[in-house]
This record gives sequence, structure tokens and C-alpha cells, in this order.
Amino acid sequence: MDISEVLKSIENTDIASSIRNSLFLFPMLESIHVMGLALVFGTIATIDLRLLGLASTHRPFRRMASDTLKWTWIAFTITFLTGALMFSTNASVYFHNSVFQAKMALLLLAGINMGIFELTSGRTVRQWETAVSPPTGAKTAAVISLVLWISVIFLGRWIGFTTSRSTSNDTAPAQINLDDLFPGTPDDSTTPNKK
Amino acid sequence: MNEFALWLSETYPSVLIQTHNGWMIPTIQSIHIAGIGIVLTSVFMMDMRILGLVGKDQTLRQTTNRFGPWLMWSLVALLVTGVLMVIGEPVRELVTVSFWLKMFLIAVGTLVAAIFLRTLQKNEQRWEDAMTKRLSVKLMAILTLLVWLAVVVLGRLIAYDHIWGAWSPARRL
Repeated sequence: MDISEVLKSIENTDIASSIRNSLFLFPMLESIHVMGLALVFGTIATIDLRLLGLASTHRPFRRMASDTLKWTWIAFTITFLTGALMFSTNASVYFHNSVFQAKMALLLLAGINMGIFELTSGRTVRQWETAVSPPTGAKTAAVISLVLWISVIFLGRWIGFTTSRSTSNDTAPAQINLDDLFPGTPDDSTTPNKK
Repeated sequence: MNEFALWLSETYPSVLIQTHNGWMIPTIQSIHIAGIGIVLTSVFMMDMRILGLVGKDQTLRQTTNRFGPWLMWSLVALLVTGVLMVIGEPVRELVTVSFWLKMFLIAVGTLVAAIFLRTLQKNEQRWEDAMTKRLSVKLMAILTLLVWLAVVVLGRLIAYDHIWGAWSPARRL
């Protein structure tokens, strides 16, 4: 079974088709995805700012990180599950979409960055966790993390624009088109700016 | 509102954003989403501190000092990017029930947050000792979190306003 058959079978699952056939489910999944990613990004940013010595500096790193990270992982699970469900509705389009691929690559890099941090600065955390300003290695990891997660948000938003474009036949109008100013009719899911 | 939205859509700043809508709209939306991350996390951390589920090594005041200013400043950033989105796509935003319901809930959420931060400043000791143990305060924390989550849903629903059926003014256009 090659990859296109796998993707087709994902699209043909009951759950994928019921999301496609529902008026509410996709926007609800998107909303929960935004809630989840908001908490993932916000909690990670909180930790990164601590590593940069810019916020929560009176708090020992391990205490604030363990207090915050459990919510990051809960939120990440929610974001992952809703993301997977959205993926299933149009798996072959997303899979071959270069913006989606870039987003997945950056998520992977964010994970690798976290792993490297744990194996380097994380090893000596006892020595610097009460310091207002952690060592350079930790700061570097924090900057990389912030850049990656902000990029993930940008790419995620871009998927909604590129996938609706790749499925519509006409190219996006460069100048004002009166049709663009009006919200589309319910079945008009191909308008570029809808999603 | 229809006339206003149509008028706005013909003004120079609106035409500018529309002309570059290929990158401007997604960029503004992405900054908006990053801001939502800060707002939601700040509200979440303060509410969860009241509920005793996060930051128990911190006083309530330490928690609000950490997240209160971030909440307020990111709300300002969301206002700026939000206004830009309205200028860029006036009809899509303004002629929806989702948008106006969202604005109402943002006003409620912001007011509650401002009142909370102010009364905490005035009666700090009473909040630290007794207030967070009260059921009414705990319920308020849950309720405000739900208000902000509803804001997220309504924000997404602006793109799907037809979901509201006859309630959506977009239908009548």
C-alpha cells in the first residue's frame, strides 16, 4: 500500500467524512485547535522568557517549569488531536501541501531543540536554576524555541490560505473584486480568504 | 453597518491591505493568534492560581504581577491587529453576528479582569487570605476563562457566520 492509498483511506474513515459533512465540526475543531495552540505557545513563551531572564526571575527554574509544562503537554495533546482530525478530512491535500510540510518540520525542530536543551543546560540546572540570568546555552535554546513556535503559528495560519487556493481553479484576484468583499454563501468553501 | 463597511472597504488603508491581501491578511492574523496565546495563557494562569491548580509557591499578587501586564498589553496588540483586519476586510468582519458577539464578550472579559486586578491591588491581604477560598470567586474564575474561550470560538466563527442561519446578517447580503 503506497502513501496515496493510506491518505485516501484516512479520508474515507467515518470520522473524517462526518467532519466533512457537518456544518459545525470543522470550525469547532479549528476553535479548539486555536485554544490548545494558544496555551502551548503561551506557556512555552513563559518558560522561554524565564530562561532569557526577562520574566518570573524570582522563581527557581525547575519549580516554574514543572508547574507550567504539565499544562503545555495537556494543551499540546488537545492541539495534536484536533489537528489530526482536521488533517483526516483532506489528508492527501495537506500531506502534499508545502506549508503543512514546513510546519511539521518546524514542530520536529522545536522538539529536537527541547531535547538538546535537556541534554546540555538541563543537565546543570541545579547550578543555575535560581540565577536571574541562566547560562548562554539555555538562552540560546529559548530564542530558538520562540522563533520556531512563532513560525509554526504563521505557517499554520498559511495552510488555511494555501489549501483552499490549491483546490480552487481560479487564481486569487490581485485587485479589489466586489465578490471578495462579501462573505460567501454557505457552500462557497473555495473562496481563498474564508478559512 | 453595511454602508459603513462598504465605505470603509473603499478607503485607502483598506484598499492597501486588500491589494496585498496575499501576505498581509495572513500575517496580521498570525500576529493576532500569537497575541491570543499570550492573552489566553495569562488569563489561564491567573484563574488557575485562584483555583489552586497552578503556582502554589507564588502568592496571588506575584502571579498577577507576572501575568496581569502581559494580559493588558497583549489585549492592546490584539486591538491593533484586530482593527487592521476590520480595515482590510470590513464586510467579512462587520456584517456578522459572530464579530459583534465577540466584541461584547471581550468587553465583559476585559472589564472583569480590570476590576479584579484593581480590587486585588486595594485589598491585597484579604484576597491572599480569604477571597480565593470563596466558592463565588472560584466560580468567577471558571466563568471568565469560559468567556475568553468563547471569544476564541466566536473569532473563528467570523469566517463561518452562516452557521448562525437567520441570525447572521451575512445571509441577507
